[in-house]
Amino acid sequence: MKKIIFKNRYTLLVAVLITYITVLVIEGFITGRQAQFLDFENPFFDLNIKDIEAFRE
Amino acid sequence: MSNIIEARALTKSYGSLKALAGVDLTIPTGAISGLIGPNGAGKTTALKALIGLCDVEGELSVAGMDPRTARHKLMEDVCFIADVSILPKWFKVSQLIDYVEGVHPKFDRIKTEEFLSATDIPANKRIKELSKGMVTQLHLALVMAIDVKLLVLDEPTLGLDIIYRKEFYDRLLNDYYDGDRTIVISTHQVEEIEALLTHLNFINNGEIALSAMMTDLADIYTEVVVDPEQIAQADALNPIHIRELLGKKSYTFESVPKAQLQPLGEIYTPSVADLFVAKMKDSRHE
Amino acid sequence: MNKFHLLQFHALLQREILEHRNMFIMAPAILAGLILLFSVWAMTRMGQDTVSISIEYMALLFDGLSPLEMAPIFMIPAIPFIGIFYFCAIIYLMNSLYQDRQELSILFWQSMPVSNLNTVLSKLVTIGMVAPLFYIATMFALYVIALFWLAILGWSYDIEVAGLGYMFLAAVASLIFVYLSIVTTALWLLPTIGWVVLFSAFAKRTPILWAIGVFILVGFLEEFIFGTQFLGNFVQSRSTPTQYLILDFQDIVERLINYDMLFGILVGSILLAGAVYMRRFID
Repeated sequence: MKKIIFKNRYTLLVAVLITYITVLVIEGFITGRQAQFLDFENPFFDLNIKDIEAFRE
Repeated sequence: MSNIIEARALTKSYGSLKALAGVDLTIPTGAISGLIGPNGAGKTTALKALIGLCDVEGELSVAGMDPRTARHKLMEDVCFIADVSILPKWFKVSQLIDYVEGVHPKFDRIKTEEFLSATDIPANKRIKELSKGMVTQLHLALVMAIDVKLLVLDEPTLGLDIIYRKEFYDRLLNDYYDGDRTIVISTHQVEEIEALLTHLNFINNGEIALSAMMTDLADIYTEVVVDPEQIAQADALNPIHIRELLGKKSYTFESVPKAQLQPLGEIYTPSVADLFVAKMKDSRHE
Repeated sequence: MNKFHLLQFHALLQREILEHRNMFIMAPAILAGLILLFSVWAMTRMGQDTVSISIEYMALLFDGLSPLEMAPIFMIPAIPFIGIFYFCAIIYLMNSLYQDRQELSILFWQSMPVSNLNTVLSKLVTIGMVAPLFYIATMFALYVIALFWLAILGWSYDIEVAGLGYMFLAAVASLIFVYLSIVTTALWLLPTIGWVVLFSAFAKRTPILWAIGVFILVGFLEEFIFGTQFLGNFVQSRSTPTQYLILDFQDIVERLINYDMLFGILVGSILLAGAVYMRRFID
């Protein structure tokens, strides 16, 4: 595992970011933080969000 | 520790460019070891790898440590001077000495000041105001005052005029080298250092082309100015290099007994410079 | 931690201050000089009567009052200094692990027996604790000059100037709060600092573009994979220098040591650890 993480700067960066986001998301779920913060009125943005949700389904 | 540096299969690529393509290097303690190669051969990459300034693949042990993971511990016993001025330009000379004194446990300030008193370098000038020769003098003055086991020099006298160059090597031999300390020095100006080397390594295209003790060179390599009638016999013995010398042909042989070569003509030991050319051309033929 | 480590750290801090003397010494000094010049000019425009009345008013206002209670007023003149400091701090952090790789000096720094951890720590301590002191010292000098100047002027107008002494004490007390605010804000913003320093160590070019670009990308990925915006939320709460002002000592322990602060330090440390390991790849 160590060999993969420290192979080069890019793999190290990805490993750090994955750790960071995982901790943030888990902590967010555990402590019940507000999960969403962006409320856009831009109709085009709403369209994009809908696309993503449709894609996930 | 009999070998202060043991390196096996060092590899380093920059994208598609292979700077090191499997370098094996063994440097015994107390050696003055030269690393000779043309520009782009991998000298700087190899030396930087030894000090942990460059991440490489392969096995590497310097003074018993792996420079990739224990660089800062290793730097207590190793010093490095590069071909370019790497001393921070905004530091005043006195501030730089203060810094090294603060961070290096083996630095003796008094020694540096002694060395500097013999130069024209003023203590309150900034590094950027010094000439290239003075910067090298300063760097050497700092390094001389650190009790290290290994000194790695990457073309330290490049671009310096002859007075600075001569003084540099004089100091190195007289004030620094004591038989226990090791020096690894890279250069493409072979003639300048061949007299002080104990060991010789040639590097080309990221690979080691030769690695030998200076005292063994005479046994291994022979150059022969071949009499015209003996050319055919000379060719049969597989010379590694042939060149024209004042109208005659001069053959270089590797590991061929002198007894076999004597009948062919005048024999002598090639200079390091000629040997370098011979080996470089040799590997290009392969 | 032994004596040598302390000496080494001290040498590292000295290096940081000397290397960035323009940001830490010149910048606040120039700002203080400009403020003084502006004040002199303003006073000449105001006319003698207005000036003497103003000085009398200031002396009466502060007279006999607790400096600690009156200190928050002096956060206002501190604003330009704090603003310049944070601007310099962003530049400093962005360059902290990037600039020496762009120059050749990295070869010298790395040839010294200084661990990557100590290198990163020294830069954090410099910007979070040492550099602010220079700004504080400049403001202090400014307040001393202002005190003498106003006192002499006031005395020449026959005003009772004892109150100016109280005003000066309140100003000095405010400096304690300014310093405390900067240090605690630095701790609060550790996740953001960690992010910037990580990309300072990572980027071969334009670290600021990497820092912003990857933030947007990761935020997008988080939304896409988890359906959440914890990253965006979190960064929003860790983004401005005014989020952690300390203006008094009430409940000071809970305000300094609490879950959110500690959690921020934890995740900031993850990013900083990444930056320390990233120093292995300097070519």
